[in-house]
Amino acid sequence: MPRIALAIALASSTALSLVGTASAEPAKTLRILTAGGEWTDAVQKCVDKPFEEKYGIKVEVDTPAGYAKLAGLAQSGNVNVALVDLETTELERAHATGLLDPIDWEKVKPFEMFPDAKKPYGFASTYFSTIMAWRPDAKAPKNWQEFFDTVNFPGKRALPDYPGYVLAFAALADGVEPAKLFPLDLDRAFKTLNRVKKDVIWWTAGGQAPQLLQDNEAQYAIGWSGRLVSKPEIKHSFNQGMLDTSWWGAPKGADPAMQEAAWLYLHEYSDPQKQACVAQHISYTGPSPELDPLLPKDKLSQFPNYKANRDVQFVTDGKWWYDNAATVEKRWQEFKLSQ
Amino acid sequence: MTDLQTAAEAGTVGIERDRPAQRPRRRDKVFGFGFVVPLLAFITLAFNLPLLLTAAWSLVDPVSGSLTIAHYVEFATSSIYWTVIARTARVAFIVSVLCAVIGYPLAYWMTLLSRRGQVIALAIIVTSFWVSILVRTYAWIVVLGNAGLVNRALQYLGVIDRPIEFLYGELGVIIGMVNVLLPFMLLPLYAAMRQVDPRLRAVAYTLGASQGEFFRRVFFPLSLPALSASFVLVFILSLGFYITPAILGGGRVPLIANMLDILINRFPRWNLASAMSVVLLVLTLVLYGVYQRLRSRRGAASGQG
Repeated sequence: MPRIALAIALASSTALSLVGTASAEPAKTLRILTAGGEWTDAVQKCVDKPFEEKYGIKVEVDTPAGYAKLAGLAQSGNVNVALVDLETTELERAHATGLLDPIDWEKVKPFEMFPDAKKPYGFASTYFSTIMAWRPDAKAPKNWQEFFDTVNFPGKRALPDYPGYVLAFAALADGVEPAKLFPLDLDRAFKTLNRVKKDVIWWTAGGQAPQLLQDNEAQYAIGWSGRLVSKPEIKHSFNQGMLDTSWWGAPKGADPAMQEAAWLYLHEYSDPQKQACVAQHISYTGPSPELDPLLPKDKLSQFPNYKANRDVQFVTDGKWWYDNAATVEKRWQEFKLSQ
Repeated sequence: MTDLQTAAEAGTVGIERDRPAQRPRRRDKVFGFGFVVPLLAFITLAFNLPLLLTAAWSLVDPVSGSLTIAHYVEFATSSIYWTVIARTARVAFIVSVLCAVIGYPLAYWMTLLSRRGQVIALAIIVTSFWVSILVRTYAWIVVLGNAGLVNRALQYLGVIDRPIEFLYGELGVIIGMVNVLLPFMLLPLYAAMRQVDPRLRAVAYTLGASQGEFFRRVFFPLSLPALSASFVLVFILSLGFYITPAILGGGRVPLIANMLDILINRFPRWNLASAMSVVLLVLTLVLYGVYQRLRSRRGAASGQG
């Protein structure tokens, strides 16, 4: 009998310690799915490297991110990442389709964050803008009507191959009033795009927009602000730009130990010092309200969330995009494949 | 390869072989097969199994998991997919024709070079194989872009005053694909042409044929099987092109592979993409079957004549 009792005690203590390890001890490697490009390079320098040194947890980065990739991982039953970078609509969709675990804010214990940056299942990582830019030798457009006016503003347009980053501007170009932008009039948006499509180069990677302008392949471009504003040889305007948020989500089905590491990582990410460091490499700011004093004064006007910039932009309607995702995708696909 | 062999055999018809043919013994054959088994197993696991899984996915409803042909129905009834397939076929055909038009004279010219000249020419072609397709494709931007070498040279010479738009359209895609695929046309053709017995030329001239007649009646027919084989090879390779249209097409010339990319990576519609892959595979197999048919018929015809 004592031996049996001992065995039970041993077994239960082992089981307990196993459970304990699983929930408290973070993994030695944290795999994250991120957007890539200059922003990821900056995050690796400013967040990942100090994180590795502080906790001894290695951060492995995989790209590209996005809803489709996340859904693919879940479908194949092989969720090998503990954090994924998502756009607002992708976050909503991933949440609605049950692909995300809630963020454990108790464990993250973040530094102060903007209230709208903390969702039960989303951690706002970056504020970014989609704006217009042009070559200095091209005629400067003041608004989207002029931007899409290929007759009076001749030249090629480098446009994002993403409906969420071009359709709203195309609708404004057809004369939709900014105050009545959403619900988005898709017919009017596609009317503009059909009119200009012969003069368009569609880009898929953020770095292409400035490159196409610099190479004189395109004279006008829509691109992500961080890629455009710091380049003196490119003109840009935040006017009627679109302010947006990127999020960290925690995929459901990830290794619990790796998820523990993810909470530590998010804690580090919420540190204003780290976000200020990122902002020095690329003009995007994070969720910390204490960031402004840490930012270089002469570069404030480059940040999407800077007040003067914020005032002339509109915030994209994540809910509308989410509700209409299927319709938008279908029409976009038809437009793109049949051109 | 069989075409090359055919060409080689055709080229050496009537020439006595000075070595007796070596026939492997039966035991050696069986023993040799043992070496191939691991490779066969690997191919089955790494290639055929995923292919079958893909085919299976095309028949599964992603939500309920039940069997359905809905993806094929959607594919067949929506005109946009056929637009892309027609465009892919058209681009593949143009690329194959251009490769043949450029590759055939080039290969012929190579056979006329000195031994050393041939080695150098071959080295130049093979080196292009070592450079990644991605690099070669981006190189075209440097060469053909608005601020590229060609446009700047033409503007400097006063031939044009506005840059010619080579890139970001079908023209750019075709230029890039011909560049990548030309060696696939050139190398088999060159190999086949080298197999044509040089003494045939002497014989033809002795019998009173002009240079043109020799080419038309002797050389070209002998190289034709290799030409058609390379043509089909380039055509089939063109059907799967992804990088070149993605970069040089400016997003305006999506081919089948780009469409699959959109369906898989943008809209997670793996089942529809699987259905489309199966259609592409069947199309390719049908094409291959037609080609085999044509070839065997031609073989029979030439045998009778």
